[in-house]
Parts: sequence; C-alpha cells; structure tokens
Amino acid sequence: MVTAARAAAVTVASLPAMTPQRLAKLSRVAGRSAPAAGWAGVLDDLRRGGEAALHLARAALGGRPDADGGGRSQRLARRWSAAARSVEPEAVAAAYDAAGVRVLLPGDDAYPAALAADQEAPAVLFCRGAAAGPGPCAVAVVGTRSATHYGKEVAAELGAVLAAHGVSVVSGLAAGIDAAAHEGALAPDAGAGGPPVAVVGAGLDVVYPAATARLRERIEAVGTVLSEAPLGASPEPWRFPLRNRVIAALSQLVVVVESHRAGGALHTVESALARGIEVMAVPGSIRSPASAGTNWLIASGAQVVTSPDDVLVALGRKTVAAPSGSAAASPLPHLELTPAERGVLAAVESTPVSTQEILERTERPLGEVALALDRLDAAGLVRDCGGAWVLRSPRSPRRDG
Amino acid sequence: MIATIQSATLTGVEGRPVAVEVHVSNGLPSFTIVGLPDAACRESRDRVRAALLSSQLAWPLRRVTVNLAPSGVRKAGAGLDLAIAVGLLVAAGEIEPREVEGSGFIGELGLDGSVRAVPGVLPLVAALHTAGVVVPAVSVREASLVGRHVVRAARSLREVADALAGRAGWPSLPEPAPASGADEERSEMADVQGQRLGRRAVEVAAAGGHHVLLCGPPGSGKTMLARRLPHVLPPLDREEALEVSRVRSAAGLPLPDGTLPSRPPFRAPHHCASAVSLVGGGTGQMRPGEISLATNGVLFLDELGEFPASVLDALRQPLEEGVVHVARARASCTFPARFLLVGATNPCPCGEGGPAGACRCSPATRDRYARRLSGPLLDRFDLRVRVERPSAHELIGRHDNEPTSAVAARVALARDLARQRGVRCNADLPAGALDRWAPLDGEARAILERRLVAGAVTARGLDRLRRVARTIADLAGAGELIGGEHLSEALALRIPPDQLIGGATW
Repeated sequence: MVTAARAAAVTVASLPAMTPQRLAKLSRVAGRSAPAAGWAGVLDDLRRGGEAALHLARAALGGRPDADGGGRSQRLARRWSAAARSVEPEAVAAAYDAAGVRVLLPGDDAYPAALAADQEAPAVLFCRGAAAGPGPCAVAVVGTRSATHYGKEVAAELGAVLAAHGVSVVSGLAAGIDAAAHEGALAPDAGAGGPPVAVVGAGLDVVYPAATARLRERIEAVGTVLSEAPLGASPEPWRFPLRNRVIAALSQLVVVVESHRAGGALHTVESALARGIEVMAVPGSIRSPASAGTNWLIASGAQVVTSPDDVLVALGRKTVAAPSGSAAASPLPHLELTPAERGVLAAVESTPVSTQEILERTERPLGEVALALDRLDAAGLVRDCGGAWVLRSPRSPRRDG
Repeated sequence: MIATIQSATLTGVEGRPVAVEVHVSNGLPSFTIVGLPDAACRESRDRVRAALLSSQLAWPLRRVTVNLAPSGVRKAGAGLDLAIAVGLLVAAGEIEPREVEGSGFIGELGLDGSVRAVPGVLPLVAALHTAGVVVPAVSVREASLVGRHVVRAARSLREVADALAGRAGWPSLPEPAPASGADEERSEMADVQGQRLGRRAVEVAAAGGHHVLLCGPPGSGKTMLARRLPHVLPPLDREEALEVSRVRSAAGLPLPDGTLPSRPPFRAPHHCASAVSLVGGGTGQMRPGEISLATNGVLFLDELGEFPASVLDALRQPLEEGVVHVARARASCTFPARFLLVGATNPCPCGEGGPAGACRCSPATRDRYARRLSGPLLDRFDLRVRVERPSAHELIGRHDNEPTSAVAARVALARDLARQRGVRCNADLPAGALDRWAPLDGEARAILERRLVAGAVTARGLDRLRRVARTIADLAGAGELIGGEHLSEALALRIPPDQLIGGATW
C-alpha cells in the first residue's frame, strides 16, 4: 500500500453494509480520473458525518428519492460514519499488507486490462498471488458444483490442454468443475501456461470451500486469486453472481463443462453474452441432470466442445481440430493381461461402474475381481472412484489416490 | 432373636447377595429397615405387614429392626419383601431357623399375601450361593436357567410359611413349555436378490466380528441384509446365552420359552429413541439399554445420520471397551455392551447419490449430511460398502443364491480359526499380534504399499485392513499367509468414508 489515498480506498471498501454496486457509485463521486485521490475525500466526508455523509449514502443507494422519506440513507450514512470514524486507514492498510493482499484500482498498471474497459468494472479489486491478473489470452472454464466424474475429467483435461498452450484458465474455485479445471491447469505435466486466475466471492482470507484450500495455495504460487470482497467478508449468496460477472469479463471465451438446468454457471453465461464474449458448452448424456444445462445451451446456439481442440480452434490457436471421439480411452494393447483381468476390463466403461455391477457382469467372486481391478489400476488402465471404477482416459492428468 | 435370610438385589444387570437380618426385641412397637434401602424397599414394611395379616400370620407388636447386609450397598426394588416376611416369621419363632438355612428368597409381596414377580430374577438367582431358592411361581423357569439351585415356586406367603413350617409340602412346579422351533422367517440369505457385495460384506462381518456400514439408496436391501446377520453368526454358547438372558431379565423383558436362547440377539432401535433407552441408565433403578440387550449379538442402527450426535458419541466407549459405564448422582453402574454394529445410511439426504448425478441435493446439503457422521465414528467400521438397488434382471430371474446354512458354515470355520489364535474373533486381534497372525505375502505387500503411497490407506486404517484381510483369508481356507486376492478384497470392502457419504457423485 503506497499512499494514504489507496488506504482510504481500502477502508471505504471494507465498511460494513458496503457492496460492490454501492462502492462503484461512490467511486463515481470520487472521480474516475483520479480514483485514488478521490477516495481520500470520500473517506473524510464519511468521517465528518452529517450532510456530507448523507449525500454519499444517497448516491450509493442510487440517488432515488427514498420511499420512506430518507430514512434508509440516513441509517446507512450513520452506520458508515460510525464505522469510518472507528478505524484508522493506516491500520486497515497494514492489515491487508500483512495478509499479502494487494489492492488494484482502475488506472493502476496492474489492474487487469480486460476489466478496465468493462462497464461494470470493479471499483476496488483485491488480489493475492504471484501475478496480478490473467495473461494476454484467458479462457473461463466453469460449471456445476455437483459435477459427475465425466464432467470433472473433461474439465481437468481442458484445463491441462489450455495451460499447455499458454492460456490462462479463469474459474471460480468452487467444488466440482471449477476446481477440476484448475487442478488440470496446475498438473505437473501441463507445462507452463498463462497464470491461472481464480475469482472468489468471499474475502481473500476466508477459505471457502474448505476443500479447495490446497488448490488455492497452488494457484497463488503461480497465478492469482481475485476478489471484490474485503477481508473477512463471508461467502454470502449475493456475492456469487457478482463474482461470475468478473470471471466472464476477464475472459475471451467461456466454456461451460457441466451445468444443471438452473445454476450459477448460467449466470456467468449471461454476463458473457452481455459483453459479447463467446460461450461454448460441452455436451453430455441426455440422462444426466448435470448436463441438462449444457445441452440446453448448445440447443440455444452455444458452440459445441467435442474435444479440447475445439476450444483452441475457437481461440485461433489451432486451425484444425482433431477428429471427435479421440478423447475416448482405448486400452494400451501391449500389456499382458490375464483372462480374469480382460474380463474385468471389459466390464468397465468410460463412465463409472460400481463394483457391485462389475461383480454381476463378470460373475466372478469378489476377491478375484478386486485383485484384477487393483492390477488394472496399477497399470493405469482404470481408476478407483470409491466403490466404482472407470476407464482411465490416456489424456487425463494422473491424479493418484 | 435374630433371623438371617438370604436374598439378593439388582445392581445394573448383576445381582448381589443380601443377607436380611431381622431382630425382634422388647420395646415400643416399631419397624425400621436399615442398610440403604431405596424408596420401594422402605415401603416393604407396609406390604409385609398387610401380607402377613392377610395370610393369617402374626405381625409382632414389638420393636423390629431389619438390616440389609452388606449395609454399604444400595438396595433397590421390592424383591426383598419375601425374605423380610420370612425373617419376621423366623424371628417370631413360627418357623425353625434350620428350615430356611440353605435357601434364598426372592419376591415382592402383594397386600393380599400373594408373591409377585420382580425384574431380574435370573441375575438375582445367579448371585445366590444357597442350595435352593424360592421364587415367584411365574419366574420359576427363569430361575431354573442358572442350573445350580433347587428351585421352589411360591404363589402366596401362606404357602411358603406352611411349607417351611412343615404343615404342607411345596407347590409343584409348572410344566416346562415345549421349546418352539427357532423362527426361520427373515433368516434366509437366499432371499436376498443380487447384492453380491452386500452379502459378502455380511459374511465377512460375521466371520471376523467386523462392524459394517451399509450405504445405499432406499430400497437397496440394507435392512434385509442386517436382519440376516444374526442367522449366520455362530449360535451362542452357554456363557454367552446366560449373559444375554441376564441382561434381558434385568431390563424386565420376558425370556422366550424360559429356555436359554441359542441365536444371537438382534436389536434395531429407532433413531428417535432416547439416549437413555439406547445406552442404559435412568433415575432410581438403572436399566440396561439397547446396546446392552444387543450384547453377543447385533445392533442395527438404521439411518445412522439421524441419530443425535450425543448418542453416536456415547457409542465410542462400548465399541472400544465392550462395556458402558453409566453414572448418575446417586449411583453408577457398568453394563455389558459387546455387540456387532451394523450401520445403514443413505449416501445423501435425497437418497440417490452415486450414478449419473442423479442426486438432487445441493453441495451444501450434502456436506451437512456428511458432517453428521463424524470421522472417528466412521473409522470404527471395519467394512464400509455401497449397496445398490437390485436390477430388474436380478429381481425376476431365477438365481441360485447361497442359503444361510452354507454361509453360516464358513463363518463357523473362520471363527474357529480365530479362537485358535486366542481371540474371540479376528476383530479383537491386538495390533501387536498382527505381524504374527496376519503376515502378508509379497503381492499383498506390494498392493498395500501402492495404496499407502497414494494416500488411499492411512496408517490407522492399516491395522483394520489387515484384520479384515485375515478374516477373508480364513474364509477362503488359505492358511497363514494373506495373499494379494485377500487384501484386494478387503480394500474393496472398505471404501473411504468421504467417497461413500456426501462425497463426489460419480
């Protein structure tokens, strides 16, 4: 944090009852041309209280005459004044520095270029990580949290291929598709790609969901995690549509891997379409509820992704796509398999099959089947999904365990 | 003059001998009971008085003191009524002391002089070391199960007094009822269609005493499988049968047919049952709970996640030590609680989980559901399997499923092998003995190493895995070494909890 003015921006952003929309309106008052300087003035006004604070509160709430005769803006002004007076901007700035969080304001060199030109650009953006934003080429890979094994595998493959071609993978760090996409982008054999970017809804010090903590650290090590929310902000539901618009705005292309008929990914799609950003979708089984949304997108005109190459072609990174279906797995023929192992392998498919089902198909005792599956797993032909087994696609990154 | 009569009182599920001393002396008429009697015991005075008068026997108008020895132990219940009444008769000179020597007396008295049943006759009689025992007529069969005593029935105080005084003989014992055939309903394994994995899990659980968790959608046969487990377990030996009967008796439950049970008990408490009914306790007289009634048998907890966390937590001690300590303000008690635990749960609240993202739950709901079952509890289950609904093909087609008898035979052999190692079952093998009794061959070792490196097996899960693999090897009659096949099967029967419940959909 270099200047007191930036500290002022951070302090205002951290006030209670502050939302990105209100912050954006305040930033217009602060003046877009010299945003940092203007924030100091905003903070002073708030601390002074009275008419100055009330004026700001009215502006933040949209400038409409209040339905209840000004009560709402008065309450807001009082709240903000009290909060602004009770903190020292230097202390706030020091807290952010201690957490390793940088503040990006429009006009900063580090502020992502794609966002700078956006209509709804974040007035204050927080980031943590080695980079400040995506590289020159960025693709969003998003999808449902209740993803199937198929969706996660495709997302991971996509992430790996994009990273291998120097593309920044942008996603929301949610469980399911988002996490799988970044796992793929960070896989050791994915090669050095553009910095991965995760955009989250909560404050950067709040780890949500807990299961992605390790993934978040790995992203910060080579890329960046962005958020509009101040430190300590919890992942309230209303923050997520806002975060989705940032994901869309940062990218040249949005790929939806799996989505239910209604879901957050579809909101990201709306934000993308509103900005003229192209949307692609991965088809899925018509029996799978997790592909109902993506299949609908395709029916509504989104481009179909039948292999990671399709995405590269859409980006202009490749001219000819590989023939579709090549992503399907085929067993390596040169391995020596016993008849029992061949039988078991034949019972496994590219979507997970439960152990119970394999027992029925092969009609062999559990001990024999279990041993065969273990050998096939060791040979890299199948993967254990916990009670179910699936053929391992040759291109999927090898995640053991 | 002092009369001493042998009787017993119930502490938990164990009886403790009580010597009822009756002292009659000159002085203003009074009647005091000492020796820590509880409320019901103190009321004996009124019952005994009315019973004596109703039986046309004398009530001494002197100073009477009754001591219930040992005086430091709390005496509960009304079972000492008969002994006190007989003691009074002896102290008053109506009955010769030698007639009551060598006999114990147990029973509650009605105001009309009838002798009534009390709960826990079996443990009470088991605590007596007299040659004979006099019990209420309805409890005669139960008392005979102990086998050490000459049992006499008492229907009324008058009859007892007459018999002891030599005025009449003892009433004859009721005829033992013919033993009914063991109930074969809901016992046939061949009735379970499909479910190869589930049936195998039940077999391994029975053979090695391994706790098993069945996870699956509604209608996948979890309850059916659980109900068949007691039928493939070996029958109870005499000690175990007596223990089961003692607990039932102390809980006030009838003993079927008055014979010792041969089949292990099966208890399936509902998840709305109170913690006390499950674990045992209660104010005043402490009663054993469901987990004690399941001792030497099966405790089936359906909808495991619906049980209150406090109840599931209370299971940890019994699962580890095989007993449960119940402490109250007035007293504390230890009940036996050594059972085979079968848990059933859905993979998620909507019940579907698993295939093709059929689950309709939001990730937050799934997480909440998964959090209800704590890691330490799930860790206790040696076997964790996923059961599916049987396919139409399996339900309709003719299949030769193995009958219970075949499975039970293998289980019995496996249990024999465990006994040769000095434990009741393989699940009891101490960790230090695993290297001796459960050595792995080269292939098994390689498989295990790979899984350890991949983090699929934790160091703590390792011991449990080896015990399960030992049981599987025993069932296969494989001899000392555990092979790759046995270890793989053990791994297949032991799915990590986070992949089973609330976890990733496939």
